[in-house]
Amino acid sequence: MTAPSSPEAPWPVRTVARKIADWIGRLGEVWVEGQVAQLSRRGGAATVFLTLRDPAADLSVPVTCHRDVAERPGLELTEGARVIVRARPDYYVARGSFSLRATEIRAVGLGELLARIERIRQLLAAEGLFDPARKRPLPFAPAVVGVITGRDSAAERDVLVTARRRWPAVRFEMFNCAVQGPQAAANVIDGLRRLDADPAVEVIVIARGGGSVEDLLPFSDEGLVRAIAATRTPVVTAVGHETDTTLVDHVADVRAATPTDAAHRIVPEIGEQRRLVDGLRSRARHLLTGRLEQQERWLESMRTRPVLASPDRLLHGREEDVLAMRTRARRTLVHRVEGAERDLEHARARVAALSPAATLERGYAVVQRADGSLVRDPAEVADGELLRVRVAGGRLPVRVDRGADQDPTTPEDDQA
Amino acid sequence: MSSTENAEPTTTYEQAREELADVVRRLEAGGLTLEESLALWERGEELAKLCQHWLDRARERLAAAAPADDAGRD
Repeated sequence: MTAPSSPEAPWPVRTVARKIADWIGRLGEVWVEGQVAQLSRRGGAATVFLTLRDPAADLSVPVTCHRDVAERPGLELTEGARVIVRARPDYYVARGSFSLRATEIRAVGLGELLARIERIRQLLAAEGLFDPARKRPLPFAPAVVGVITGRDSAAERDVLVTARRRWPAVRFEMFNCAVQGPQAAANVIDGLRRLDADPAVEVIVIARGGGSVEDLLPFSDEGLVRAIAATRTPVVTAVGHETDTTLVDHVADVRAATPTDAAHRIVPEIGEQRRLVDGLRSRARHLLTGRLEQQERWLESMRTRPVLASPDRLLHGREEDVLAMRTRARRTLVHRVEGAERDLEHARARVAALSPAATLERGYAVVQRADGSLVRDPAEVADGELLRVRVAGGRLPVRVDRGADQDPTTPEDDQA
Repeated sequence: MSSTENAEPTTTYEQAREELADVVRRLEAGGLTLEESLALWERGEELAKLCQHWLDRARERLAAAAPADDAGRD
């Protein structure tokens, strides 16, 4: 035994540490019942650290154990789980830290938990909280998304990363809180109320990774389910694995299988939307160019119509007409003139023929009696009668003297 | 008649197109005095120019709206 410590002879730390260790060791091995408040398994580390909490007294004690103890098959050790632990107090002298060293961990009865959930489900279903008619549609592209999830949890990352990749313009209103253990339900309700009150928030996502039935217990909490039913803003739940179903899933407007799926449900995929828009734009453009080309072809056809393309043809037409008409006019004129000349000729000929001048010219003479009548038969004329003879050169008064020339008149003389 | 060339013509494309079709029909029908044909032909030319104007403008606006496929991706 060492001498008692005093200011003059203080004990070194190592002595104090060893003494504490001895005292603590005296508790010996104990069985402890409580709820796993925190659980951390750092990668491949052999030691698992967890905090065991007494739900009733709100006290907790750190517990460490070997990985095999925590990962015993069949034991779904997760935060919020109710467990019974066999452990021995352990004082880690190097750092002066105390913990219970667990050698065995057992889960509290599962059946009892499930039965409780079912009772609540039937109660709420009877009230019509789960009616499909109550489900509200989600906004197409919400500007602000409220997210209730564990701080820096995988679920949070999945929702944020996926949503941002799909729709970069989206903004988040985060509400990080416990998503396991007795406070979880109350926290989520608080988050729900706050986000629901915010007019900017258009949809609320409650996201949580997988977990044991105990872990997910808060998400079947009656108060939480009623709170979700009462919100104005649509709620999307992504709680647990796809196979797990909690009561919030029944009351939510949309139940997403996973946090990533929730992101797919709340925001459209921008690439897809852009392709859609591009598709529509190019179709519109295609239709327009089609119409434009069609009109241009029409205009071209109009312009190549002869009446427009070669108006000179129009003039040609007319010039030819004029030319044709002129020639025709001239021809008719010529004909007429010639005709006239011929007529004249004939007339003249006839005149010539009828007029005695030509006959006189040929030596004939016209004998007229005093009264102008023509003498055709010598018998008509009396002897000594005064006649007028007209020869080519002029007139000649003559008197009839039959005695002078005994010449018988013969017709052929006249032909001369 | 449409206004001068530099100001935006008031006649719409459809009006010009309609009248042009009519001018061509009448010219082809014939039976016009020389003066009428000439006047009609001049009107036809003017209308054709007008239609061309509107179609060219449409082409410009289409090209200006967004060069078809290389719209910038943000």
